Amino acid sequence: MLRLADGDKTALEEIYHATRVKLFGICLRILGDRKEAEDALQDVYINLWQRADRYDPARASPIAWLAAFARNRAIDRLRTGKVRGGAVPVEEAAPLADEAPLAEALLIDLERNAQIHTCLGALDERTQIHIRAAFFEGKTYAQLADQAGVPLGTMKSWIRRGLLRLRACLEASERA
Amino acid sequence: MSGELDDNLPDTDEARDDPLLAAEWSLGLLEGEGLIAARGKQASDPDFAWRKEWWDNWFAPLADEIPPAEPSAQVWERIASAIAQPEPRSAEVVALKARLKTWQMVSAVTSAAAAIAVMISVFSPTTTSVAPSEPVVAAAPAPLVAALPIEGTAVRLDVTFIPESDQLLVAAIGLSADNVHDHELWLLPADGGDVQSLGIITPGKVQRSSLSAQITRNLAAGAQVLLTREPLGGKPADASPGPVVAKGAFSSV
Repeated sequence: MLRLADGDKTALEEIYHATRVKLFGICLRILGDRKEAEDALQDVYINLWQRADRYDPARASPIAWLAAFARNRAIDRLRTGKVRGGAVPVEEAAPLADEAPLAEALLIDLERNAQIHTCLGALDERTQIHIRAAFFEGKTYAQLADQAGVPLGTMKSWIRRGLLRLRACLEASERA
Repeated sequence: MSGELDDNLPDTDEARDDPLLAAEWSLGLLEGEGLIAARGKQASDPDFAWRKEWWDNWFAPLADEIPPAEPSAQVWERIASAIAQPEPRSAEVVALKARLKTWQMVSAVTSAAAAIAVMISVFSPTTTSVAPSEPVVAAAPAPLVAALPIEGTAVRLDVTFIPESDQLLVAAIGLSADNVHDHELWLLPADGGDVQSLGIITPGKVQRSSLSAQITRNLAAGAQVLLTREPLGGKPADASPGPVVAKGAFSSV
């Protein structure tokens, strides 16, 4: 990533080859359409090329940062209304090439991984389901409320209460 | 659980705190005015920006559950051609560079990807399609257009930016004034920068205005535009933006 900030194009290519299947998986999951997901993916790397200097190695692992970045871009695209959106059916996900690049090696920080799952798992099941639907399917409050057949305010209450608890749990783990 | 609705629950947008807004944004729950507020805050409030990143980092491991997928080979080809142009890299040109890169990207993408059919029809006098393999050498930068369908109606607002003259054309044909509200147009820069007002629209008219450099530097394909309903005279300086009634994004023609 540091080389990237210096304008090293081969660095971008290496990063692309190491991370594309993970980031494309994320874009595809959020956008539910290969074409849109490919456009989003392209957008991610071009943005990365332009703004690698924004990445701060002290704050996050590169792959965590990239994963969040890709997800944010895909959601931006979803919100511009160009795509109908929705989670992609599993069968639509492209089969992976045999030399599946580093999918396993990309596991984000194991400790944090375990912690977020622990804290999410401590929420009541309904809240977990809605928070996960927001994360994995890019659903808005309005869509979640619609899906669950509850008023918007109720859905906001549920999720905000969950997020407050999640924050308390994660902060407690940081102090530990 | 259902009996707890009195225990300090933030079910109105005003009641929640900033860290919660950052969490909602990170999770992707926000749209419309909430999204404007969050993006505006990120630019002006370092604590808020830090908290957003804090949530991003915590949520990121969840992405490990998403099955990886292989994009087609053309994606890298398009990226490579988009970044192929050598150019100076210095702090002074960062903003400009970002804009140029966006142009390069757009011209490298196939017409189908770059333009929505609706938007092409707005500019029918010019060429309506660009072969993907043809390098686009634009003597003058192409105009940007955004179409904002008004929710619940067949009417839409067309916004066109002409880079050559830094002029913005807003066609609000079919809209009528209710004499109680004004509608204000907002730009959400593609790079996540501050939200900027593009002014109050004039219903039933095509309106032309000149934009300042502060705004034009944020106008690029992908930048979003929102229309909000405000009191007469537009959003008061100390108030949050009103409800979003239409939204769209600029794309290159």
